[in-house]
Amino acid sequence: MQVDGHGGDINTSTFLPISDSRQTIQNESNNSGVFSLSLLSEGINRRAQWNADSVQGRHTIRYSYSVLGKHVRYEIPGDLSIPASYPRELDKYLKEESGIQVNDPLIEKKINYLFPEGKPNIFDGVYTIHKHLQNEFNNKNFSGFTDALTALKLGEASCNGKGRLFVALARKLNLPARLVGGFVMEPGTKRTSHQWVEIYINGYWVPFDTINNHFAELPAHYLTLYYGDMVLFKHTSNVNFQYFFKTLKRLVPQQDAQSKLEATPFNLTNLYSLFERIGISQNLLKIILMIPFGALVTVIFRNVIGLETFGTFLPALIAAASRETGLLWGLIGFVIIILTASWIRKFLDWIHLLHSPKMAIMLTMVVSLMLLMTVAGVNAGLFELAHVTLFPIAILAITAERFSILEAEQGWAKVSKITLSTLFVICACYVVMDSLFLQSLVLAFPEVLLILVGLNLWLGKWVGMRLSELFRFRKLIFNPEVKA
Amino acid sequence: MKKIRKLISTFQKMRQAQNHVLSMNRRNLEYVYPNNSRCNFPIADNKLETKAYLRSLSIPMPVTHRVYDSFFSLRKVESDLQNLNDFVIKPAQGSGGGGILVIVENKGSELITAGGRIVTLQNLRTHMSDVIFGIYSNGLSDQVIVESRLVQHKDMDILSPSGLTDLRVIVHQNTPVMAMLRIPTSLSDGKANLHQGAMGAGIDMENGNISHAIHNNVEITAHIDSGHHLIGRQVPYWAESIAIAETVAYAVPLKYLGIDIALTESGPVLLELNVRPGIAIQNANDLGLYAALRSKAGAA
Repeated sequence: MQVDGHGGDINTSTFLPISDSRQTIQNESNNSGVFSLSLLSEGINRRAQWNADSVQGRHTIRYSYSVLGKHVRYEIPGDLSIPASYPRELDKYLKEESGIQVNDPLIEKKINYLFPEGKPNIFDGVYTIHKHLQNEFNNKNFSGFTDALTALKLGEASCNGKGRLFVALARKLNLPARLVGGFVMEPGTKRTSHQWVEIYINGYWVPFDTINNHFAELPAHYLTLYYGDMVLFKHTSNVNFQYFFKTLKRLVPQQDAQSKLEATPFNLTNLYSLFERIGISQNLLKIILMIPFGALVTVIFRNVIGLETFGTFLPALIAAASRETGLLWGLIGFVIIILTASWIRKFLDWIHLLHSPKMAIMLTMVVSLMLLMTVAGVNAGLFELAHVTLFPIAILAITAERFSILEAEQGWAKVSKITLSTLFVICACYVVMDSLFLQSLVLAFPEVLLILVGLNLWLGKWVGMRLSELFRFRKLIFNPEVKA
Repeated sequence: MKKIRKLISTFQKMRQAQNHVLSMNRRNLEYVYPNNSRCNFPIADNKLETKAYLRSLSIPMPVTHRVYDSFFSLRKVESDLQNLNDFVIKPAQGSGGGGILVIVENKGSELITAGGRIVTLQNLRTHMSDVIFGIYSNGLSDQVIVESRLVQHKDMDILSPSGLTDLRVIVHQNTPVMAMLRIPTSLSDGKANLHQGAMGAGIDMENGNISHAIHNNVEITAHIDSGHHLIGRQVPYWAESIAIAETVAYAVPLKYLGIDIALTESGPVLLELNVRPGIAIQNANDLGLYAALRSKAGAA
């Protein structure tokens, strides 16, 4: 969340997810600067509230957690009839609310239209409503508030309108129903939250989503944040308020597999928990284990394709560091650092310094540059850029040095060409190292690294033409009369 | 169908043709590594060691006036050099012509370079300390060589008034296999490196005549600056040059080498040895080096 204060007190709040049978919430952390956080319990929801006095300027509040989601699916027995009465605590899930006009004649008319033969059983009831909303109502990408009646009259709605209408129709059939607010997790940054519906059937709250057609089921990447007809973000009115959700995909060991393996003494999970104990997270371990794949990609580009890159391992290391910044910001950060550092080197050259002190200054400059970029990134709300501090500093200093020597000796054309091919190889490394399949493979079977050694042994003995040499010696190779 | 057949025949031709072109991977794996053992690399990589190794053979080489290997010793530069009117400053372990400074006139506190630039004694000292601190030798500390300036043969001076043209001979198992002239141009800033814009002229091994030439990998027949015709031009002292290449090849334990020779008025002079000679010589000659290497090996 981002707020622009103008000297007044600011308080802002939102809902935080709760662990249940479908989702596990871990590693929660709050990063809110001048704002103090208080956690409130509101019925079955958990509200987080941030307060600060006399706030000036732009501030960012970050709350992060990891989610382990589970796909759920319910079978609704076809012969279950709608109960006549429910326990008292479910009463509120049957009542009219301001946006859910259960008792409006239009809702009754719709029920009569959908069920001309009178009251259906549970399955037919929810199935007919779900199908009707899914098929007859257009999805509308509208972020404002739509109540049940408006959705009904327009015949189209966004997730919250459809949800309210679903709840109103279900309650009219005497089925306890509630809105669920949450978020569909997809890697990347977005602002849209999502709403769906749960209906109380035979002792279970069964989920339905008529936007993405999930009938009595919910995929693993749905994150529940709150229940009921609530507003996700609240804030004092004197601020310019912005929010977004950022999702990163992470690999986690399957829990049942983990518990099975724990029985044996020499197993990987024990091995990984050993790393965990000394402070090396599995995430870091995974990045380290993927670096050899990046190195192999670089070797292929250099020895088989014939692209010149800065250093053998620089692309793999930059790609590894770019996992935190995102590929685009990784590349941009890399180019900014190299260009600025080589420009600084030019200046140092001009005042004539000995080599080692000069390199030490370059290193200092690279470090300062990274800190500057981090500060600039945080201030501009670009958290991706803020992670450039994970770049391999010494290698960048050496690369900047090589960049400027090459520029001086062989000119801009050559150095741009090598920079471009380095960027290209970084992208290729990133794609390969980001592969969830390879990550799972190497985490589960670290012996895969031996295969990499084998491939490198083979490449190390390969004497064929590089692709670029086919072009370089094209006249000799494709000439009609073969000379000897 | 016809297209596919054409594609296949192109591919076959390519496979066949690849067989006579030496690739970078093959050069390293089948020629550089097996023929040159790592402990002998310094004989080629360090110009002082090259000179020391070949001292007993009477091979013409530039005369070493002075060697500086410490910052401290540079204090005496002024008095050391006062009797030399022209000289060349070189890093002992430099590559690609980096760090070479040619002084044509010594006026005491000021010196004039081959490019006509005036440098002060202080500039010279800074340059020499740069060399010692390894700026031109991949960060390793290095030595400065002050040696005699070579005046090239008038035939060569016509071709490259801006710098020294050199003759590169590839020798394998003591046999010269392929040769080219590397001719500096206005674009290459006096340097004789093909990738820096020098011209490469392939030489007919039988008679020492230029048979084919390239500039930036494009075929040429005349000098790109002056328009002097190149093809058919005779390399001066060709037989003597090849004799030097053979003598050196026998003498050193490195069996795959690029030997660089300068052609002066009084005869060929050995410049330096290269254990990783580039493969662009194939385009200069319009000949595959792999085929040449195998046919020479078969003949020997």
